[in-house]
Amino acid sequence: MQCKDLELVVESEGLVLLTSEAREHLTLCPACRGFVSDLEFIAAAARAIPAEIEPPAHVWTSLRAQLEAEGLIKEPVTALEGVPSRIWPRWFGLRSLITATAGAALLAAVLLLTHTPVAPRAPAAGTPAQAPVQTNDSAPSPLAAPPAAPAPSLAALSVPKAAFSAKRHSSGPTASRIKELAPSPSEDAGTTFAPSPVDQDFPDMELAGNSQVDASLRQNLRTLNEFIAECERHLKENPHDQLAREYLYTAYQQKADLLATMMDSARSEH
Amino acid sequence: MYALCLRMVGNPADAEDLMQEAFLQLYRKIGTFRGESAFSTWLHRMTVNVVLMRLRKKTLPTDSLEETLEPDSESSGPKRDVGAPDLRLSGAVDRVNLERSIEKLPPGYRTVFVLHDVQGYEHNEIADIMGCSVGNSKSQLHKARTRLRELLQEEIREQAREERKAAKTQSGSLD
Repeated sequence: MQCKDLELVVESEGLVLLTSEAREHLTLCPACRGFVSDLEFIAAAARAIPAEIEPPAHVWTSLRAQLEAEGLIKEPVTALEGVPSRIWPRWFGLRSLITATAGAALLAAVLLLTHTPVAPRAPAAGTPAQAPVQTNDSAPSPLAAPPAAPAPSLAALSVPKAAFSAKRHSSGPTASRIKELAPSPSEDAGTTFAPSPVDQDFPDMELAGNSQVDASLRQNLRTLNEFIAECERHLKENPHDQLAREYLYTAYQQKADLLATMMDSARSEH
Repeated sequence: MYALCLRMVGNPADAEDLMQEAFLQLYRKIGTFRGESAFSTWLHRMTVNVVLMRLRKKTLPTDSLEETLEPDSESSGPKRDVGAPDLRLSGAVDRVNLERSIEKLPPGYRTVFVLHDVQGYEHNEIADIMGCSVGNSKSQLHKARTRLRELLQEEIREQAREERKAAKTQSGSLD
């Protein structure tokens, strides 16, 4: 083997897999031995060079600005930062559930009004001044008595009260009654959900002629109240969470609609 | 990506621009990634293309584009004088010398050398990145190493000359 042959072998096979002939030539030729040794040194020294170099920080800033300018990336929504992951999907699930149940309740109430004949019931609690509902004597009659505390959660929110009550398609007194019935947030954010005032208001009152619809309406209301309580707990810990406020506002609206439906259906039985 | 750009152009400012351009290309073309190669290979291919495009724009009219980027094996490959005494590099060359010499390589040699010996890519991956054959990648790597050897030997000789000059000057001043 000649020196130029060795070089061809090194070029095609690299420095690691040399043939026996090439190795034999290296033992005999100091020039080629030095040549291969130098190439091995260069390869080893190159491997020691850091493969990654961190670019200056301003490169990332500039890149981000350019990507945003081209519309390739957008600012992430930060409203839900800090929301425990267990809550977020639950909110989504609850929200769609609430929407679905509220819609179903509304539909049930409409069907009830149009198709099912019902017997007259006790007077509905349209105004605070009305006489208490003729229910079980041992049960309290909170309808006549306004709740001990107003709904500070509503006041705490920057939701215009006019908008809240304006959403109601029913009369004014009903809307104000609904406001009174809205649950107050518990002082301790970690407390479990307390029974809805509506459950206390209508313990035995039939809201609709059909007991199944009645149960469905109450269940929907309980679901809504649970969701509202959870939103309020979250807002207590994260008062600047705008998305949570929107959810809470929507939930209150849905609750107002549901309560109005329940009261309308109960009143219409008379 | 930044390391690759920096070693290919030898200039931090240009390397930053090129890295940014490569990332922009990535974001624009991410939908075209089909998974036929590793994502890192695809990304480095994009980066190398961005750098080579920039180098093509900067190539002087007197220089042959093909010689600069893909030197011909017959005409411009490094020649080795078999009979000339070789300076051993081991112990005489440090990382600074090596990186300075890498910057002096022609872009085609430099790219393959950086991808293989510094970044650790295999020849089939380099062929994919560069759009050449495996044989071409091996040939370019060998020529790059051989050329680096020559540059480093020149550097060692230059340093030896400087040291001799300094020593003469010092001994002359003492007399």
